[in-house]
Amino acid sequence: MQRSTQKNGLVNLAVALLIFIACQGVSAFGGSLAAQAAAAFLLLGVIVAFVSWFQMRLEENERAEKLELDELATSRGTSLFDAKDAGSFPAKNAREQFEKYFVPGFAILLLIVEAGGGWLLWHLGGKTPTNTLRPGNATAALSLLAIFSLLLFLFGRFSVTIARLENNRLLRPGASFLLAGAYVCALAALAIAGVEAKFPTADFWMARILCILLGLLAVETLLTLLLEIYRPRIKGKVARPLYESRIAGILAQPESLFTTAAQTLDYQFGFKVSETWFFQAVQKNLLVLLLIQFAVLLLSTTVVFIDAGEQAVLERSGKPHGILEPGPHFKLPWPTDKVYRYRTDQIQSFAVGYTPDAQSEAATTVMWTVPHANEENFLVGNHLADDSANAGTNDAANFKPVGLITVSIPVQFQITNIADWVYKNGQPEDLLHSLATREVTRFLAGSDLNEILTHGRLEAAAALREAIQSSANERNLGAKIVYVGLQDIHPPTDKDVAATYEKVIGAQQARLAAVLNAEAAAIRTNALAGAAAFTMTNVADADRITMVTAKYAQAALFTNQLPAFRAAPSVYRQRLYLQAFNDATKDAKKYVLLVTNTQDVVIFDLEEKVRADLQSLNITN
Amino acid sequence: MKNKNLLTIVIAFVLVVIFALLLFSFQVRQSEVVVKSTFLKPTDTITSPGLYFKWPWPIQSINRFDQRVQNFEDKFSQNLTHDSTMLQMSVYVGWRISDAKAFFPRFPSGSTLAAQTLLEQMLRSVKAAVIGKHNLSDFVNSDPSELKFNDIEKEIQAGVAAELSTNNYGMSLEFLGIKKMGLPTDVTQAVFERMKAERTKLISEAQFNGEAEAAKIKSSAERQAADTLANASATATRIEGEGVAEAAKTLAVFQQNPELAVFLARLEAIKSSANKNTTLILDERTAPFDLFRSLPANVGPNLLK
Repeated sequence: MQRSTQKNGLVNLAVALLIFIACQGVSAFGGSLAAQAAAAFLLLGVIVAFVSWFQMRLEENERAEKLELDELATSRGTSLFDAKDAGSFPAKNAREQFEKYFVPGFAILLLIVEAGGGWLLWHLGGKTPTNTLRPGNATAALSLLAIFSLLLFLFGRFSVTIARLENNRLLRPGASFLLAGAYVCALAALAIAGVEAKFPTADFWMARILCILLGLLAVETLLTLLLEIYRPRIKGKVARPLYESRIAGILAQPESLFTTAAQTLDYQFGFKVSETWFFQAVQKNLLVLLLIQFAVLLLSTTVVFIDAGEQAVLERSGKPHGILEPGPHFKLPWPTDKVYRYRTDQIQSFAVGYTPDAQSEAATTVMWTVPHANEENFLVGNHLADDSANAGTNDAANFKPVGLITVSIPVQFQITNIADWVYKNGQPEDLLHSLATREVTRFLAGSDLNEILTHGRLEAAAALREAIQSSANERNLGAKIVYVGLQDIHPPTDKDVAATYEKVIGAQQARLAAVLNAEAAAIRTNALAGAAAFTMTNVADADRITMVTAKYAQAALFTNQLPAFRAAPSVYRQRLYLQAFNDATKDAKKYVLLVTNTQDVVIFDLEEKVRADLQSLNITN
Repeated sequence: MKNKNLLTIVIAFVLVVIFALLLFSFQVRQSEVVVKSTFLKPTDTITSPGLYFKWPWPIQSINRFDQRVQNFEDKFSQNLTHDSTMLQMSVYVGWRISDAKAFFPRFPSGSTLAAQTLLEQMLRSVKAAVIGKHNLSDFVNSDPSELKFNDIEKEIQAGVAAELSTNNYGMSLEFLGIKKMGLPTDVTQAVFERMKAERTKLISEAQFNGEAEAAKIKSSAERQAADTLANASATATRIEGEGVAEAAKTLAVFQQNPELAVFLARLEAIKSSANKNTTLILDERTAPFDLFRSLPANVGPNLLK
């Protein structure tokens, strides 16, 4: 019986070694990170299987040695063991030396492989989830991993059963690793299936989970090594192999978890929970429950609910089988029937040019001079520069100055024909973006910068929408262009180009202000001139009236004076003179010279006196 | 125990069926084309969707390809136009696998990425050649009728299609379009400066035109004001003349006794010319002070007190 156990150990070693090599090959062939992690796990199995097989051989040799010595002692009638000579038991010594030095050494090797492998694979996967699978080889890799899983399961299950029946402590660690290896390979296969089922990062995340498992195994091995130092050595008590993993044991035999859980519950509640009918029923029918769960899972794939605003393409074995409208639908289970959903009612959008950043989206004021994002400049014709550059030359045809314009044009679209959208083009959304960008580029390249910034916008938006729609129809995209907006077109913010456009507006306003001011001044000048002219003519008219009236009055007076004059010419004349003299010189200063000596010189001071108020005037700087 | 064994057998059977299906069958989608290889040699191409069977690996293996139109954009690369202007341009390309059996062995594992890399190399070469044949005005022109956008795209597409057909790559070019155009950074900066200069010109135009217009308006107004005032002055003069003419009608009255009339006019002149600031220096011969001469010497001065 012992010999057959040793053979089992050897078979375990051979199977672990072969499948480890094969799994390593499959991981390279398929580019699977999860398969790589599974291979690392299988390497642990190889080490454990080798050590346990070697230890089995030593124990077998020890047993044979003991039998030989017992037979010899019986035939001679003496007991060699009485001699207590260590040199007399080489096999026993070899086994003891192996357990004392080599087993801890192998455990340390195990620890290095577990910790190093986990760390290496973690970093090999990179930081961002990526799909490293080779598309053509993925299916083959999946199939091979499934076969490995099946083989490991068969051999592992057999060995675990043998180990339990024979209570063989040395066969158990290797068998556990084989069985756990079967599950790990199945997980790796599942991850590849996930990638095939359009979950591209499934392989990456499965590799991460297996890396964590390797890390846990490393922690367990380290703890076992540390506890081994303080473990009490009781003579006759068989020690648990250092390289045996409890985690691998639980993974290999999940039912043992039930035993552990039952013991914990019993302890916690103070009575035998594990003996209740429910617990026992669950334990006995676990496989049936799992099978039912699997069946329910499969059945759940026969019903599909299409959300409002969505349509879905139903494929049966890859063939289009119909378009599903919103609501519940029945279908054959996965993978026969598959459903691909698309938002057909929803208006979707993208931006040609730059996409405004969150900050500028939140802003309440949009300015040309404030950058909205990492802006993209488009080439545009420039008629204004064209005229200036070619003024007075005959080279207009060759030299065409261009302008640059910053553009963010929202394009809104709706999927109108889902079959065309899904089956005609590989990346329909990318293609629509390219087509829209091409139409915008072409439109701007044939437009005038100043026109497009001013009155040409509305016409341009309509023309662009038509052009993009026409291109989309030509490419059978099955999409309707709902809206194209040209609101966010402006000169580049770089080098203050947009700012100079604002200055032009400012200058035009200043020009208008100057004209308006001049017009105001003109109105004032003309109004005042009009008033002055009116005054002037009125004054003249008044003077005329005054003069004429005065002259007529004087004439009338003269007519009346004439008889008086004729009556007494000299008297009347003298009277008039004296009256006039009196009136005229009433206020005048008068100096009357009464001297007869005309040779004297009379000096008069006729200087005006300075006014008294002017003398008291204060003058300050 | 018997039931448990039966259950185990059922589970094993289900697992075997699943594995068998995985190993012996495969689905082809409407959007796919599949190349079936027997002992790694491509033997069959399946383009119709449905469920198909095969021998398990390594006897038979399958390779799937997307038979829809694939599109990609090449690099935004810099080229020289015919009139020696640096122009940056990127194009987008739509291509499809036209012959999967021919396509599959040409590229590692039938990789579409490798195919696109090859296509991009061809594209860059043809694109550079076509750009070199055209002036910048064929790419950008404020007169749309002079633009040769479509012709340029057709020329590049024809060039790449010719390259593809020379060696049977199993690919066909469905469409090609210019996606983006630009200028190198230095040239872009120069264009920015030129655009600013244009604006500065417009600023000066607006500013000085405004000043000129304002000056014209002011001078027109002043001229008009002067005109108005001159007319008013003429009217005033005319009115004054009319007044004089009217007043002259009274002269006949004065002509009855010119001596008295002149005397009165002189008296009026004296009245008008003398005021409180007038200083008169008179002697005893001026009436009424001539009275002082006819009086005795000690009487005259007393009269003034």
